[in-house]
Amino acid sequence: MTNKRIIRTLVVLSFLFIMLIVYLTYFVVFQREAVMQSPYNKRLWAYEEDIERGTIKDRSGAVLAYSQEGKRIYEYGPLYCHVIGYNSKIYGKTMIESKFNNLLLGRGSVAEVFGIGGSGKSGYDLTLTIDHNLQSTAKSKLGSRHGSVVAINPKTGEVLALVNNPDFDPNDSVLAKKWTELTESKDSPLLPRATGGLYPPGSTFKIITAAAAIENGLDKEEYLDTGTVSIGGAAFDNYGKKANGRIDFKKAFALSSNYAFCTLGAKLTSPVLRQTAQRFGFDKTFDFDIDFTRSRFQAKDTDEAGSAALAIGQGETLATPFQMALTACAIANNGIIMKPYIVQRAEDKNGSIVYEKRPQQLYTAVSNDVAAKIKDLMVETVENGTGKNAKISTIKVAGKTGTAENELKGKEKNKDHAWFVCFAPAENPQIAVAVMLEYSGGSGGELCAPIARDIIRQYVKKRSGA
Amino acid sequence: MISKLAKHPINMIVIINTLAFLLLFFYRTPPNYQILFVGVSITILSVITYLAISFFNLGDRYLFIIASMLISIGVVMLCRLDYSMGIAQVGWYLISVCVFYAAYILYRYINIWRFLKWFYFGLSVFLYILTQVIGITINGAKNWIMIGSLSFQPSEIIKILFILFIAARLTGNNKKLFNLPENYTTALFSFVFMFFLILQREWGLTLLYFLTYFTLTYIYDDDKIFLLANALVTAAVGAIGSLTMHHIAIRIKTWRNPWEDISNTGYQITQSLFAIASGGFFGRGIGMGNPDFIPQANSDFIFSAICEEMGIFGGAAVILLYFIFVYRGIKIALLLPEGFDKCVALGISIMFAFQTFIIIGGVIKLIPLTGITMPFVSSGGSSLVTSFISLGILQAVSAGRRQANDQ
Repeated sequence: MTNKRIIRTLVVLSFLFIMLIVYLTYFVVFQREAVMQSPYNKRLWAYEEDIERGTIKDRSGAVLAYSQEGKRIYEYGPLYCHVIGYNSKIYGKTMIESKFNNLLLGRGSVAEVFGIGGSGKSGYDLTLTIDHNLQSTAKSKLGSRHGSVVAINPKTGEVLALVNNPDFDPNDSVLAKKWTELTESKDSPLLPRATGGLYPPGSTFKIITAAAAIENGLDKEEYLDTGTVSIGGAAFDNYGKKANGRIDFKKAFALSSNYAFCTLGAKLTSPVLRQTAQRFGFDKTFDFDIDFTRSRFQAKDTDEAGSAALAIGQGETLATPFQMALTACAIANNGIIMKPYIVQRAEDKNGSIVYEKRPQQLYTAVSNDVAAKIKDLMVETVENGTGKNAKISTIKVAGKTGTAENELKGKEKNKDHAWFVCFAPAENPQIAVAVMLEYSGGSGGELCAPIARDIIRQYVKKRSGA
Repeated sequence: MISKLAKHPINMIVIINTLAFLLLFFYRTPPNYQILFVGVSITILSVITYLAISFFNLGDRYLFIIASMLISIGVVMLCRLDYSMGIAQVGWYLISVCVFYAAYILYRYINIWRFLKWFYFGLSVFLYILTQVIGITINGAKNWIMIGSLSFQPSEIIKILFILFIAARLTGNNKKLFNLPENYTTALFSFVFMFFLILQREWGLTLLYFLTYFTLTYIYDDDKIFLLANALVTAAVGAIGSLTMHHIAIRIKTWRNPWEDISNTGYQITQSLFAIASGGFFGRGIGMGNPDFIPQANSDFIFSAICEEMGIFGGAAVILLYFIFVYRGIKIALLLPEGFDKCVALGISIMFAFQTFIIIGGVIKLIPLTGITMPFVSSGGSSLVTSFISLGILQAVSAGRRQANDQ
């Protein structure tokens, strides 16, 4: 009797010992990476001191960041602060420097998981999809104005330029000197506006409303635009209260008629608009090479007046410039949004590739037909509508302007956010651009469209070898 | 050649010691000759004792080999952390081996141990009270006594007294006390042992004592309702304790999410997890890691240090060594006829098993962390000497009594 119980005890004890080994294995297989990456892990810095961090280059090989004698040097100062981020012992790591830390330190291959092989004393070099010339142009066109420029290849998802103003110098010595100023400044230079700033999208949202209208057969109607429309007791004005007269759907889009689109919004209702917006990526998130903020469509359903406001990108809907660039990408790429990425590949010092990104589809926003119809609307906008400033004689541009009221409305004059989203060439799109200028006081057509035009011209000309 | 060497397990100790200490010797510049001294002495001690056991037929041949393998791993780790700790540990090993022989001889040739239950209880209570009166506080718990310059932890020695006491109660004839059934009085006195540990805030040891008591009661007591009552009362006390006592609540909270308060209550366990994570499967190599970042890497957290430098393969090897040890101990008990010796062998094996589980489970965050030492591996004289007294008793039991069991 006793011996039987002893054997049972032995079985239980064996189980306990096996559990120890199983848990230990589980920990190393599944939790190891996350635990190792904790910023509280003192070992990280201990290892890093022995390893020369990898170089970061643009798509044509221009060096953007490199390490020298343990110091991280950002060749172009502030230009890439919201793409590459910084790598500082005191302030930590951000952006690419954080997300690709393992590759930059030469870790993360299969051999490394088992602790064998190993890469010696130097990390892997990263090649970005960013075009340094385009990035510089975007920056100089922004000048001192606060805002963002995002440029993406709609066919592949490669991010070609990603610029924000204001910015900061990520070099360690400058960070240390200016940290308090940077964190306390009311301009928030540390905020990556393009990927982390949420703004009402204004009339650029009409791309999504138009998609919903076409899908629901509401694109055949005509309107007598008087400049102001009253829906559910609320009055909605066109930009500058301009009356457009008798217009069809195409003209309504090209002239950015709030009269027509508010009427459409009230008919479509907020659930339909939300469902359409979510297909473009609102309320959704995915794994991107730098962290970004989810754009959100107004969470609660609303009445006619509320739906009318949502249709023109007002209400509680907020979008990042990054999201609006993806919206343009959807139309440019026959309704399909390709998964955006910034890091093209990583290679070791011998040039063999240890990581490489290939284009993949992210969302299907609209059907091919709907995309083609909206493309026509956007071409018309640039040819004969609010986006004339983006017109280029040799390249057919498709775009949509936006001028978004915000929380300052009624408090200060002329503080609207200006937007322009576009892609070109319309017949075979190579680049999609979103430009946003915050609290700019002007319209998207007059302020943002010229910036987008210059970026497109430079990029398309270079691509066609001119 | 290799297979021939591996046939005698003591050769493996010699090989591993040679490799590990040479590695330690060459890794640091300038080379420290003390390392070779440490390696040679520990190997000689292990080999001589093993030869004595097999030549004079002193019972089970494997128990001591497993223990000396664990000692070797411990000393390698300690030397790597701090030479002086490694050297001190070898000194304690020498003393422990002497104590081992003494325990062996005393237990095997003097057959009075099963009659001394009140002596065990009295001595334990005396040591507890002595600790409370003249004890000093180390790491927040008042559980050390200083004798000259030597510090000594009575609660370690009491572990053996506790096993002997329980074994005597469970297998001997007991007079009825306080008009209670026998098993209830046994429980009462066992809880007195645990009560003193709670006073010293030794949660890990309290748990260890309880699990040992409970398992032995399960094996020896047919009264299932009594066993259930024990479990329920303890669960209730544990639940009340975790709700009302800040110390226990904090440990459970830290166990569930150590990252929340990482710089404070979660510091120890997260440093331990960092070490294990950085070691991975094969470890970073002896001398190549940063086990010095782990608090108490020489005692409670030595398992994490082993995992960092030898990998979880090394860690699993250590766990398996303990497992074989426990298995052999229980096998010895199984082959013995009913009686005091059998119960003592069981008690010692079970206590080793639970002690290993509690501390390793704690540092890898499988269970809430309660600091107790890792037998044979952690630095510290009290722990090592106690482990070797237990081993000596187990060895004596395995050799069998000269005067056949006179039950």
